[in-house]
Amino acid sequence: MASQADAHAATFSAAELEFLAEDELIEIVPNMRMDPLNLICGDFGPFRPQIATQVPVWLAVALKRRGKCTIRPPDWMSVEKLTQVLEAERDAEKFQPLPFHYVEISRLLFDHARDDIPDIYMVRSLIEDIKDVRFHKIGTGLEIISRERTYALRLKNLSAMEANIVRPFVTRALQTFYKLNSPDMIQESDSVSNRQPQTANRGPRRQLKDR
Amino acid sequence: MYGKKGSELVKELASSEPGQLSAFNNDLFAQVIDECTGHLHHLGSLIRKIEELKKIEEIKKLNNQELEESEKQLLKAHNSGALIHHLSLLRNKRCLMAYVYNRAETIRSLGWAVERVLPEEIEEKLSGSEKEYFKNHAASLQSYMSELDLDLAVDMVPPKDPYIKVRVLEDIGNVLLSDQSANLARHAILFLRRTDAEQYISQAIFTLMLW
Amino acid sequence: METGAQDGSSGYSTMDDYESLISTTDAELLKRAWQNEKAAPQILRFEAALIQRSREQIKLMEETVGEFTRNGIDPLTVSLYQMDLDRTVFLLRSYLRTRLQKIEKYVFHIQKTAELWNRLSRQEKRFAERCIEDMEKHLDQSVLSKLPSSYKSHLKQSSSSEEDDMVPEPRLDTYVICRSKRFLGAFQLDDRQFPVNIEADDLYALPYKSIKPLVETGQIDLV
Repeated sequence: MASQADAHAATFSAAELEFLAEDELIEIVPNMRMDPLNLICGDFGPFRPQIATQVPVWLAVALKRRGKCTIRPPDWMSVEKLTQVLEAERDAEKFQPLPFHYVEISRLLFDHARDDIPDIYMVRSLIEDIKDVRFHKIGTGLEIISRERTYALRLKNLSAMEANIVRPFVTRALQTFYKLNSPDMIQESDSVSNRQPQTANRGPRRQLKDR
Repeated sequence: MYGKKGSELVKELASSEPGQLSAFNNDLFAQVIDECTGHLHHLGSLIRKIEELKKIEEIKKLNNQELEESEKQLLKAHNSGALIHHLSLLRNKRCLMAYVYNRAETIRSLGWAVERVLPEEIEEKLSGSEKEYFKNHAASLQSYMSELDLDLAVDMVPPKDPYIKVRVLEDIGNVLLSDQSANLARHAILFLRRTDAEQYISQAIFTLMLW
Repeated sequence: METGAQDGSSGYSTMDDYESLISTTDAELLKRAWQNEKAAPQILRFEAALIQRSREQIKLMEETVGEFTRNGIDPLTVSLYQMDLDRTVFLLRSYLRTRLQKIEKYVFHIQKTAELWNRLSRQEKRFAERCIEDMEKHLDQSVLSKLPSSYKSHLKQSSSSEEDDMVPEPRLDTYVICRSKRFLGAFQLDDRQFPVNIEADDLYALPYKSIKPLVETGQIDLV
């Protein structure tokens, strides 16, 4: 409740983001029989041994905790895919596409389905590295799409957790620009859709480092 | 300096942790109120003086005369003086209101956390009016919730799997739990609601299994 | 649950195409309503129909879970239904709570702005009225009764203020992070501005007031 005073700096708590991530679908392989579940959030099953089926992450984790299934890690969580993403993430200024809740989902699976993830140590360290690289380019990888009077920022491919982390300072920095409407910033602008992040982001970047 | 105490009051707010309350600053609060009363006295006497001068001015006008230069200066000075006292009063009022209003917000957020009765160490930090406000507000909230037939003071954070895994250490036989009847046979492994399991854990009939 | 909002329908019915309406579950809609309400600086329209349906679903599910327990359905199944129920109830409670907190905080502003007042449910209006009473009394006892007569208003700084100049209100120029479900094309941020393209499923940081109508008609979601 302490967040109330600063409601817009921390709109969602980490627990709330995890809650949202738990609704994403994931594949499981049950080891038991169970009739279909007609839940408020949707219909799932029927569950048959060795027959893969899609369920929300919270349901997958609940079944896994009770020893009733194995979880199939999503494609993007393979060493091969993650290595590609990490390389691309290091090379390019832009953010690579990853699931919106990749941070929360990977953490839930590390916590509850360790034995279902091949090369778990490698996977875990790749995801850590990707998170790091992405975090460090938050200052450069975001695209300012409007800098006339109202600043607008496109956060292409940013994940839920990352958006939540950048929210306080991105929103504060933009608000300050908006207020100042500084002539400096306007002169710098060469087009509405500025695709040169180094110039475009001079302001926010400085803000980032000052933190 | 006028308005200094009022700003100290607001600084006190600003320097406290969000969601935390310091003791209601009765002394400083009363001093700011006194300052307001002082401003009113000055304001009153200045307005009387201004009115007197205005009267003189009108009388002189009838005789095609103007105010003496010194009288003009005096009128100007009184006007500025009155304005200063008026603005100082407004400023103090805003500080007082901000102090009370923002504390009220924290008091309300405490209400969510503690449900109707404040712990003593918090209660003693409140002013008399604040204590009354807390009670009234709790009652307003209560009346909303009973009208809706829904308790909003629970479930403050997203739910997690409410079931925990336990191993039974003693033969107890069949017991009725909140959502199931369970056979508590030695060495059995069960998934139970945390709330159901707690009493047995404390009696060392169950042991909690982490994985 | 009844509503005070005139049209009483969910915000999605106005703009959204039929297709997305039928393919979206109430659970999904409730989650969006919750996210939007949490992220928007201003109180949004009470989702009367959606909340009513959700409460009915919750009640039905509670009965089902009770029945399962009595009929000895296996505890695993019961626990899964219970978890689904817990999740929905949490969303409902948190949604209503978020609204109450906005009402408490900006109650005087909501009271004097008809557009906002009409967004409240019947019960919320009653709650707001009591909040006003409680707060007025508290402000009066603590401050206003001790001030000179022309400075006693809780809405105006003094009787020489022409309009209410002391009512706390949410900042609509706050930046929010939002995402559109579909391509919205060129969108005008404000009147002196080149339009910007809002693409489907991309995140944008924009001032709330420039996308306010899109949020209110359910074309864009806050995250």
